[in-house]
Amino acid sequence: MRQVHQFLTSYSYGDAIGNEALEIRKHLRDRGVGSEIFALYYHPRYAGEIVNYLDYDRFSHRDNVVIFHFSIGSPVTKKFLRVPDRKVIIYHNITPHHFFLDYHRILAKDCYKGRLELKSFVGKVDLALGDSRYNEEELRQLGFRETGVLPLVMDFSRFGRPVLPVFRDLFQDGRFNVLYVGRVIPNKRLEDVIKVFHLFQTLFHDKSRLFVVGEYRGFERYLHALQDLVRRLGVKHVHFSGHIPEDELVSYYKLSHLYLHMSEHEGFCAPVPESFHLGIPVLAFDGGAVEETMNGGGMLLRRKSHLETAALMDRLRRDDKLRNAVVASQQRALEKYLSRRTGQILLDSLQRLS
Amino acid sequence: MAEEKQKDQPFLSASEDIDVEAIMADIQKKIEEKKDAGLLKQSEIDDIVDMELLPLPDFQEVPNVYENHLYTRPLDESLILGFEIEQERTGLKGLVKRLLQKIRRLFLPLIRFAIRPALNDLASRYGTVVFQSKEYIKILHSALNNMIVEASKLKIEEEMLKTKIKVLEDKIEFIENRERAIEKKIYPS
Repeated sequence: MRQVHQFLTSYSYGDAIGNEALEIRKHLRDRGVGSEIFALYYHPRYAGEIVNYLDYDRFSHRDNVVIFHFSIGSPVTKKFLRVPDRKVIIYHNITPHHFFLDYHRILAKDCYKGRLELKSFVGKVDLALGDSRYNEEELRQLGFRETGVLPLVMDFSRFGRPVLPVFRDLFQDGRFNVLYVGRVIPNKRLEDVIKVFHLFQTLFHDKSRLFVVGEYRGFERYLHALQDLVRRLGVKHVHFSGHIPEDELVSYYKLSHLYLHMSEHEGFCAPVPESFHLGIPVLAFDGGAVEETMNGGGMLLRRKSHLETAALMDRLRRDDKLRNAVVASQQRALEKYLSRRTGQILLDSLQRLS
Repeated sequence: MAEEKQKDQPFLSASEDIDVEAIMADIQKKIEEKKDAGLLKQSEIDDIVDMELLPLPDFQEVPNVYENHLYTRPLDESLILGFEIEQERTGLKGLVKRLLQKIRRLFLPLIRFAIRPALNDLASRYGTVVFQSKEYIKILHSALNNMIVEASKLKIEEEMLKTKIKVLEDKIEFIENRERAIEKKIYPS
């Protein structure tokens, strides 16, 4: 194994897959293994750090290993399959295309194509890793023989920074802050988050606020539908932040009293362990890999019942003992998660190739 | 199917040291209390839960499909060939036809030199008008259809712009609040 490089379709800051690619590169470089990240799309601020995937021919060698972070259909797949290097995919899951049919035809097409491309990897890659057992199971069902789980690298050091003083003045006003973190896209079922919050605000605790923290560009029609829902329901104090820098994200987390997640499809769900780390009680619906990520911590909603969820939020708000028990269960789950050394698992997996 | 499967599941899972059953009992009691207090009726709660999102249509998905219907004619062999292929007829009908053709042949010079030019003249005079009228109606229909399509697209775009304005308003409000908070920090009164 001379060098280990990584392929990504897109690299954007704050993105879980991008963060993982950076962590893997750092881990490999620290151990003296040459490593670069190649991407199709990347933010201009990373122009010096990320290399265009079309330039990979200069780095390619049959003794190299190339890792493809696969999460959507793209031309990168073709390039990846053509290089002579040994090949590993890390499957981050593809959202089923039907979620996007009403809102983003191009993305729906890319997700559909992505699943077809994933099938095309069978028999052509040396190793297929999923970032959760849920994803690994999907790989096995597709016919991949050499599979494994590479837990998503979680860098909690960035949560060490303090709350922005201005945010404290704005949002630490006695209101009960409910948080959602993630992209504003249809599979996250933000309409359910809004409905539950509305019932909570109307029936149980009117002095409350909902933070919807995440990118909505490209999904303006979904955002419009959500804002229309907010208007029709008459919900107050719903704050859509859009894409924000990391210090603001940390502030939103630290100013929140409860994390609510109603998504129906998740390949991993990074905000859950992040909330665990920050001691925020988590209420999450069991969609995709959420149960596995929660790992016995927090409170898992097995079915959707808006009114019961709102009542449970109220119970968590009122009952310190319950909240402490939930936070303690989250801490135990996080310790179990952190005990798995992602870097070492990756190196062990790569050793299997040589 | 998935919804039916969900119904069989317990509502909540948590770690073993949390008494889920006691929590659920407490929650149900609280819900009943709220209902009895008359804050929201069960029908209103059901309406909220069943409320659907109303997404705007994608204006790129408003196609102009009218032209195809207007200008595509059904496939007709006689239109391609310019004449109908006639089968050789036998029996009494065939005999009568052949007889009439022979009689017609006698009048052929008259038809060719006197009647056909007159008919052609009439056809060219009025046929052009009819053809032009047909095409004009098609253009009118097409223009009207295009106008409706464009108006629909503009309406959708207007709604999208309203959303963007709402987002900007919210952002400005938030920025103003931040600005005031910063001012208070810098110049505490």
